[in-house]
Amino acid sequence: MSSTINLSFLLKSLYQPVEAFEALAKADPSPGRVFFRYSLWLLALPPLFALIGAANFGWRIGAEDPLMMETNSLLVVSVGYFIVLSFGLFSTAIISRWMAATYGASASLGKHVALITIVGAPLAIASIAHLFPDVLVNVLVMIPTMIWSMYLLYKGIPIVLDTPPERGMLMASSLVGWLLVAAVSLLGISMGLWTMGLGPSLGV
Amino acid sequence: MSDQTYHDNIALRLIQFAVIWAIAAMAAGVYIAAELVWPTIDFGQFWLSFGRLRPLHTNGIIFGFGVSALMATAFYSVQRTCHTPLFMPKLAWFCCYAWQLIVLTGGLSLLAGLTTSKEYAELEWPWDIAIALVWVCFGIVFFGTIAQRKIKPIYISNWFYGALIIVIAMLHIINNLAIPVTIGKSYSLYAGAQDAVVQWWYGHNAVGFLLTGGFLGMLYYFLPKHAERPIWSYRLSVVAFWAFVYSYIWAGPHHLHYNSVPEWVQTLGMGMSIILLAPSWATMINGIMTVSTAWEKLRSDPALKFIVLSLAFYGLATFEGPMMAIRSVNIVSHFTDWTIGHVHSGALGWNAMITYGTFYFMVPKLVGRELYSKKLANVHFALALAGTMLYIIAMWAAGVSQGLLWLSVDQLGELSFSFKDIMASMTPYYLLRLVAGLIFLAGTILMAYNLFMTMKGKEAARVTVPAVNPAYGMN
Amino acid sequence: MDGLSLHKKIEENTGLLIFGILFVSAIGGLVQLLPVLNQDSLDTATVNSHLYSAVELTGRDIYIREGCHVCHSQQVRPLIAEVERYGPYSRADEFVYDRPFLWGSKRTGPDLHRLGGKFSDDWHRIHLLNPRSVVPNSIMPAYPWLAEREASETGNITAKLSALTVLGHPYTEEDIAGADAALEGMTEMDALIAYLQMLGTSYQGESEL
Repeated sequence: MSSTINLSFLLKSLYQPVEAFEALAKADPSPGRVFFRYSLWLLALPPLFALIGAANFGWRIGAEDPLMMETNSLLVVSVGYFIVLSFGLFSTAIISRWMAATYGASASLGKHVALITIVGAPLAIASIAHLFPDVLVNVLVMIPTMIWSMYLLYKGIPIVLDTPPERGMLMASSLVGWLLVAAVSLLGISMGLWTMGLGPSLGV
Repeated sequence: MSDQTYHDNIALRLIQFAVIWAIAAMAAGVYIAAELVWPTIDFGQFWLSFGRLRPLHTNGIIFGFGVSALMATAFYSVQRTCHTPLFMPKLAWFCCYAWQLIVLTGGLSLLAGLTTSKEYAELEWPWDIAIALVWVCFGIVFFGTIAQRKIKPIYISNWFYGALIIVIAMLHIINNLAIPVTIGKSYSLYAGAQDAVVQWWYGHNAVGFLLTGGFLGMLYYFLPKHAERPIWSYRLSVVAFWAFVYSYIWAGPHHLHYNSVPEWVQTLGMGMSIILLAPSWATMINGIMTVSTAWEKLRSDPALKFIVLSLAFYGLATFEGPMMAIRSVNIVSHFTDWTIGHVHSGALGWNAMITYGTFYFMVPKLVGRELYSKKLANVHFALALAGTMLYIIAMWAAGVSQGLLWLSVDQLGELSFSFKDIMASMTPYYLLRLVAGLIFLAGTILMAYNLFMTMKGKEAARVTVPAVNPAYGMN
Repeated sequence: MDGLSLHKKIEENTGLLIFGILFVSAIGGLVQLLPVLNQDSLDTATVNSHLYSAVELTGRDIYIREGCHVCHSQQVRPLIAEVERYGPYSRADEFVYDRPFLWGSKRTGPDLHRLGGKFSDDWHRIHLLNPRSVVPNSIMPAYPWLAEREASETGNITAKLSALTVLGHPYTEEDIAGADAALEGMTEMDALIAYLQMLGTSYQGESEL
């Protein structure tokens, strides 16, 4: 069954999401298989793009001079980025599975990992913007992509988890709440680490 | 059976005022957002100047839109949860109109430059006295209605509305103590650091008990009503309420981290802010669990969508707040647009959304006619969600950039960037924020049209007070 | 009586509920506000404190009226970068005559607490009339009307000084009697600039962190 989840399937999810979700609804992949075959490679893209972009151009947070970092600390940041993204994928999949019980939908963890991977795929691909490490460029590319991903989330949950659309809408909103909290935590944690001396030097 | 009917025309009128203030104050917000992109669009007119319009925007939203909506829903729900018409309905009408007069003249006074400068307490002493008087009348009507109730237990939404009335009165009076000089000018009774601590005790808890507590009253009545389910956990709501009332009041000093106030005050404020997360989220979980068993209602009811989404943003805002109260995060976030983004994730995502959901529910009930267009309401939902997300993200990016760039030093310890350059680099984010505001305002105007068409030519339907189940009766 | 049955009593009695809310919500405020309001170091004048002259006070009230505090803070935090950018960090005793405090919550423009003496009066005049003529990318509004209004019409300066005397500001009889004369012939712009030029200059300590 898990053979339905392959690379061409992932590509299909980008332009024919509904068909992809319907196919996923029928499959029951194992989480490890989905992760190592597909999620892993998608998750590796943003840190890789960020590393290349930041090493060559330095981050521009708006003002003229870019913030340059040493290669070593760039590597640390990129690995950290990858770990955070992986944590984000799994925690969201686990929470999604936990919520599914409340919202009358049930499915294996593998299905949830695959669902979140499909939802997050456009963001991973759009992270090509990291090659141009300018905050504004990235914000401009990421916002429309994020809206598309949110559409996929609201669209995908009822189909994949085989639950009525109204119930799926509730669950998707709860997941959006979780993702917002996760995003703001990430901001907060990085700011905390930054003021404590990791990353570019701050005069605090 | 009694032949008494509820006084619902007051609620209907207050909803109309709330919608008008929402549009006016949001339009002012959009205008000042545009001023940050094109600074000359005040055309040299003092009353269009950013420094005067911004308090008009905040006061218009909090006191015009927010309080009118809270009064409307409080008057509507207290009658139904107590099975009795309003106590002193004429006084309730007085509250309704006197409040609108205060907001209108207060707004004009802000444009004229009469201001105390204290955030959310900008109105000068004559308006402060008027606010206190109307507030006491609001309290008399509200608690009078509770006192003459026919049902023994006081329903939980009324505790939150009650806390709103009592605590805001206490904060308002103590923070606004001042010596008047002229009709439009007074000097605060407190000076310097002491004034700062008093002001943020007020400022934080105006957010706490008005924008959080008051609107939780709305949630506790309208969500179960909407979902046609009792609240998920009664015990959780009892614990969360008292923990909320106790701990919120301590958190104000997190607005003064690294400022010239004693360190113990800052540390205490930070600690209590983090603790505050528990009661805030307990309430959110209670709400989500209540609605999660009533999903099939969503099919016929666009209003419930707003309430569900408002809970997600409530979760975000009540998490983000304690996090920004941590000193090492606050170093970066303080004084930046991140704060503005945080306020709007609460004000747009939570306050406005839950109010919209409640209005879409209440107005058809009040006038006894179906909502004019469910389709428009669904479009409004998409606009509200998109506007809020765009706003929050633009301000996150702007705020983090400001915080980091201001503090950046190079290897020699010299500042890396000039303030001017950092400020100039904010324009694109301010432009995004302007677009976000326009999207949100457009949604609100759609709602106004939809509600207007629903209530056009109608008065509030007469609803008779139902008989009381003897198991819960007063005797 | 367990917790819930105690609560049953409260939720069936209006008076108990009102009293309970008042009591529980008052605790935090009392614990924080009373010690702060009684802490002498927060309201006692020192060498760092500066009593505003009639002109400076008028300028300060114009600053408030125009909402300058909406975009400019007056609070240098004790952080290396801030001290480098603005000057010595702000001390509580510098604000004992500030009614109300103007620390602000947002820096759309730079902090102004150590502004005094950094620019000439003429620079301020040009800047207030058209900020973009001296700071090309500035997003600050222009304040042309300040140059046209008389400082003596901003408010009743004698009444202001008398009111502040009631609150313990040590103005002398001569200060109050001479207040109107001090404002004679000044525009609001002049008064505002006098206030801006005095900001943060009374601090007597070292400039290091």
